[in-house]
Amino acid sequence: MAITRIGDPAIADVRGVNFRNIIINGNMSIAQRATSTSSANTQAYHCTDRWFNVGMSIGTWTISQSTEVPTGQGFAKSLKYDCTTAEASPSAGDQLHLSQRIEGQNLQYLLKGTSSAKSLTLSFWVKTNKTGTYQVNLRDKDNTRIIGKTYAVSSADTWEKKILTFDGDTTGTFDNDAANSLECEWFLGAGSTYTSGAVPTSWEAESSGDRAAGLTVNLGDSTSNEWYITGVQLEAGSQASDFEFLPHDVNLQRCYRYCYRINGNTTDEQQIGGYGFCTSSTNVNVSYTFHPPLRSVPSVSESNCKETFQGVNVSQYAIFDNDQPNLCNTLGLSFQPDSGSPFTSSDIAAIRLHNSASAFIMFDAEL
Amino acid sequence: MIDRVEKIYVTIGKNSTPKFTCFKVNYENGLIKIVPNNIENTDYQAIQEWAKIEGNNIIDPGA
Repeated sequence: MAITRIGDPAIADVRGVNFRNIIINGNMSIAQRATSTSSANTQAYHCTDRWFNVGMSIGTWTISQSTEVPTGQGFAKSLKYDCTTAEASPSAGDQLHLSQRIEGQNLQYLLKGTSSAKSLTLSFWVKTNKTGTYQVNLRDKDNTRIIGKTYAVSSADTWEKKILTFDGDTTGTFDNDAANSLECEWFLGAGSTYTSGAVPTSWEAESSGDRAAGLTVNLGDSTSNEWYITGVQLEAGSQASDFEFLPHDVNLQRCYRYCYRINGNTTDEQQIGGYGFCTSSTNVNVSYTFHPPLRSVPSVSESNCKETFQGVNVSQYAIFDNDQPNLCNTLGLSFQPDSGSPFTSSDIAAIRLHNSASAFIMFDAEL
Repeated sequence: MIDRVEKIYVTIGKNSTPKFTCFKVNYENGLIKIVPNNIENTDYQAIQEWAKIEGNNIIDPGA
């Protein structure tokens, strides 16, 4: 029986949310860790969620979530690289790039490694004073393969939309797991280790010299240099669709899988970072339940929040997992006092964040 | 950059034996992270790479 579409075709053609964008937080709207990090010269997740500031061995940077965006496109935030200490002549092994790492289990529908492998189209908005040719790569981390494309920034200080289509790869399947299978990277500067080869315009075995072979600029060569990016979308097929705007809460939930952070503030002295109980006079266990489940058992870091158990100073703390691999719903933290046996077994305990904007406790399960 | 790594032992339940569950990692910039003994954790993977470098040793105080 034939199915006939009824109603206004114009409405039916409006693209809804279908999670076609493989990139998470492509509009740079979520920044749990920091909205700005200065003096950045080591690789880390410095600013916007899911965006890994890699290499960082060329120059020193302020990396921030900026309100500078392309006009009329619906974006409110971008990610900004601002060079604060220049390095005009990178050493051979130096590199500077931005990347996002993607779980293999989110990529199975691309049919990579089969004769039906789908092509991928990457679109993004970029703006910089530093004109020239830049390189973007897709790296298959399961099979050590790579494909790259270059894009030109021809007009200084002007937002430009770039669209790059990458062929499907009939070699090498992505692992169906929660590990890093695909890395999308934007090179901004590189030494000869990464520039000595040729741009890998077709999928091939990865060679370091190819990763930035098409790069003609070094963004780190002047403190006048800035680079902005937003509206990043990677999708199956050979056409770029309009950016898929997600509701803020949906975008945040997607980021929570990789990082969950509770921040303190300057006015609230009773900001609670978790509840638990005293298992003995020398130990407190605090448990957390995560929704959505974290990608993996997380690392935990904190500032100004751990020494508030009944007024007891605590500097020794530890972590234990209550779940099976890949199902990190709950996590336990164990705390011990600096000295003595101050706790009463079975008493309720809480982690309290100090009334400081710098206080936090963070659970990091990033790729 | 990792500066120091120490194994941490935890007594999870009453009267149980302390069990190695995680690492305490000191970074050169002053950051301290508690990293699970779990191969899927990216910081765990970084610790293993760090430990391969001659001169880098994971401190094990024992249970």
